[in-house]
Amino acid sequence: MTEEHPALALRGLAKRFGTKVAVAGVDLDVPAGSFYGLLGPNGAGKTTTLSMAVGLLRPDAGQARVLGYDVWADPVRAKGLLGVLPDGVRLFDRLSGAELLAYHGLLRGMDPAVVDQRAAELLDVLALTDAGRTLVVDYSAGMKKKIGLACALLHGPRLLVLDEPFEAVDPVSAALIRDILQRYVGGGGTVVFSSHVMEVVERLCSHVAILAEGTIKRVGTLDQVRGDRSLEDVFVEVVGGRTATGQELSWLSR
Amino acid sequence: MAVAVSAPVGSARVPVRHFVRLKLRVMGNNFRGQGWRIALFVVGVLVGLWFATGGFFALAAPGLAGEPRYALLTAAFGGGLLVLGWLLLPLVFFGVDETLDPARFALLPLTRRTLVTGLYAAALISVPVLTTLVAVAGLVVTAGALGGWSAALVAVVGLVAGLLLCVAAARALTSAFATMLRSRRVRDLAAVLLAVVAALLGPLQIVVLAAVRQADWERLTGVARVVGWTPFGAPWTAGIDVAEGRVWAAPVKLLITALTIGALLLWWSRSLESAMVGAASAGPVRDRRGPTGGAVDQLFPRAVGRARRDRFGALVARECRYWWRDARRRANLITVAVVGVFVPVMVNLGGSRLATDGGQAFGEASTDSSPVLVSLSMLFVGVLASLTLANQFGFDGSGYAANVVAGVPGRLELRARMTAFSLYVVPILGVVAVVLATLLGHPGWLGVMAGALLAAYGSGLAVTGFVSVLGGYALPETSNPFAMNTGAGVAKSFLTLLSMIASAVAATPMVVAAALLGDLWLWLALPVGLAYGLGAALLGSYLAGDVLDRRQPELLAAVTPRR
Repeated sequence: MTEEHPALALRGLAKRFGTKVAVAGVDLDVPAGSFYGLLGPNGAGKTTTLSMAVGLLRPDAGQARVLGYDVWADPVRAKGLLGVLPDGVRLFDRLSGAELLAYHGLLRGMDPAVVDQRAAELLDVLALTDAGRTLVVDYSAGMKKKIGLACALLHGPRLLVLDEPFEAVDPVSAALIRDILQRYVGGGGTVVFSSHVMEVVERLCSHVAILAEGTIKRVGTLDQVRGDRSLEDVFVEVVGGRTATGQELSWLSR
Repeated sequence: MAVAVSAPVGSARVPVRHFVRLKLRVMGNNFRGQGWRIALFVVGVLVGLWFATGGFFALAAPGLAGEPRYALLTAAFGGGLLVLGWLLLPLVFFGVDETLDPARFALLPLTRRTLVTGLYAAALISVPVLTTLVAVAGLVVTAGALGGWSAALVAVVGLVAGLLLCVAAARALTSAFATMLRSRRVRDLAAVLLAVVAALLGPLQIVVLAAVRQADWERLTGVARVVGWTPFGAPWTAGIDVAEGRVWAAPVKLLITALTIGALLLWWSRSLESAMVGAASAGPVRDRRGPTGGAVDQLFPRAVGRARRDRFGALVARECRYWWRDARRRANLITVAVVGVFVPVMVNLGGSRLATDGGQAFGEASTDSSPVLVSLSMLFVGVLASLTLANQFGFDGSGYAANVVAGVPGRLELRARMTAFSLYVVPILGVVAVVLATLLGHPGWLGVMAGALLAAYGSGLAVTGFVSVLGGYALPETSNPFAMNTGAGVAKSFLTLLSMIASAVAATPMVVAAALLGDLWLWLALPVGLAYGLGAALLGSYLAGDVLDRRQPELLAAVTPRR
């Protein structure tokens, strides 16, 4: 029955912190099997939106459904289908990579034998086997992203929600992550990720939404959104960036 | 177009008041829009002032009562204890206010001298400093009443110097310890050192009490005179010296204080530098030892190696690993172990030893202790042990998000956390009971002690279950295990006090039973205490788990450090 539902459906999600409105009513439908990019400048509310969508932050108003299950009313079913890579959140980083994967797997109620096998495979593919028993706290930023992704993938979720998966990742690891995600989508999974790197989004995504000042400004398939221009032009126009006139910061040039 | 690059900015010296203003601003911003924080802060200030007033009158008593022979005693010993407290309490209990984290200044072109003076000045802006100031003002009254204006004036100078000394000592020591703890290799050694320092508190107090009881006033005054010439007593006794006619002593003592402050600041600036660099380059120490067994077997420490490989097992295993690997948690464990052994020894043995002339060896002490007194002190130890969990989610910080995303049921979560902590603490409690029973020469009381311990610990777990879910707060993300946020300090002490009282009340039936049932209780205490503690903990996790289920995102937000 889940096939007729969008992989992720947000309805009127809103959140304010004190007097500052972080997200002002976001509606979004992520079709199953899509590779969905959530674009936005810093402070647009991407992380807040995704946190509310996966049950990490309680919205002031609105709904979030994962394949038809309400994240806030039926969290057990919804969270079972979800894999999440939050940004700016610590992992349980005083475990080694393998220990962390085992923890996540068992926490999801998986069979220990399956956890062992998948963990070994994931560590191998993500080139983390070399780290041995190094604690995750001593990993580099890129390695942390990779182990976080491995934790999100381990239980074979139907929907992956990734917050800035390519931030601080070197090109080799980024290519690896892209490859894994494309195979995941090819196999029927759905990916939603946030980013402000246009190239990555243009290369990977089937669908794009541009978020600015807490609301969705543009939404649709990649081609619908960018039309005959580059995604970057559309983005800058929508967000309302300023172009340098050459007069300011003149003391920077000798 | 090419405009000359302006002269390098920042060559001017940064005045100290910038640091002070920065500190005040950070403190103020912490309160913004958080009514409860302001309330807690006010409560903290009031409680502090209440104690300070007590200290004030204690120190002013010799002057107010016109008893000059006690003046030197109170000044030397009272002030000395104050310095000792400033030295040790941040290490053992309260942590040091790291509102201005030195690591944040690493990139700024500041000389070490500027930085140290700035941070030092900022450290002076705090509630503990204010309350200490109020308390030691009593010395001025004493000096003034006994020696007139000139003595009072010297006392004022002395107490300001003494206060500076206290703050410098606290900063230097915690900073040095933090630097030591930062490197993994030295961490074990440092933990032991810390334990020893904390352990010294107990015997020292016994010795002091024994001395008070034994020694005649002449000898005590002699000791006070000696203490007065050490940095512990020098700043506080300068005013008294003037009042007693030894005017020449005052400048010497102030000089001693000034030199000590200088040495401490030098020490601080040394460790400060490594603290700043260390935060940036705590380079990865790769441990390439090959993994043994599958991922799941690696997660489970040997102690819980036979636990079931399911959610509960995983939670317990992860918590067990964390109590050992997280410096902050380990420091807490060590505190429990040390205080748990020494407090009951002091309460139960101290009194009797003093009564019998203080000369007897520990083992043959004939005691005036009773099952009731023992139960009471065990109650304290049990509650204290459980208090460590009062902010158990704060230890995890934003890492707790993993459990929220996985949708871990609250009851399971709490039960697993209690179990893992108990794996460490229950053996410690066992040792406490055995050691104390042996020292008291009453092996038959072992059951009573263990029963009271377990009952108090269990009730404490139940209470802290609620406290940690409802009152969790963020700990700063620094590698300094002693650091904590402003405001959080007050919140922490307040919550701690509250849960302590609640847990103690919940476990009082054990003491009442010890008083009423007499010898029968010697046999019943252990099974009853075990059942009581276990029941309380289970009930607590059942009820608090329900609350946690409804509050998971809110709790996560509360324990996530603001950046």
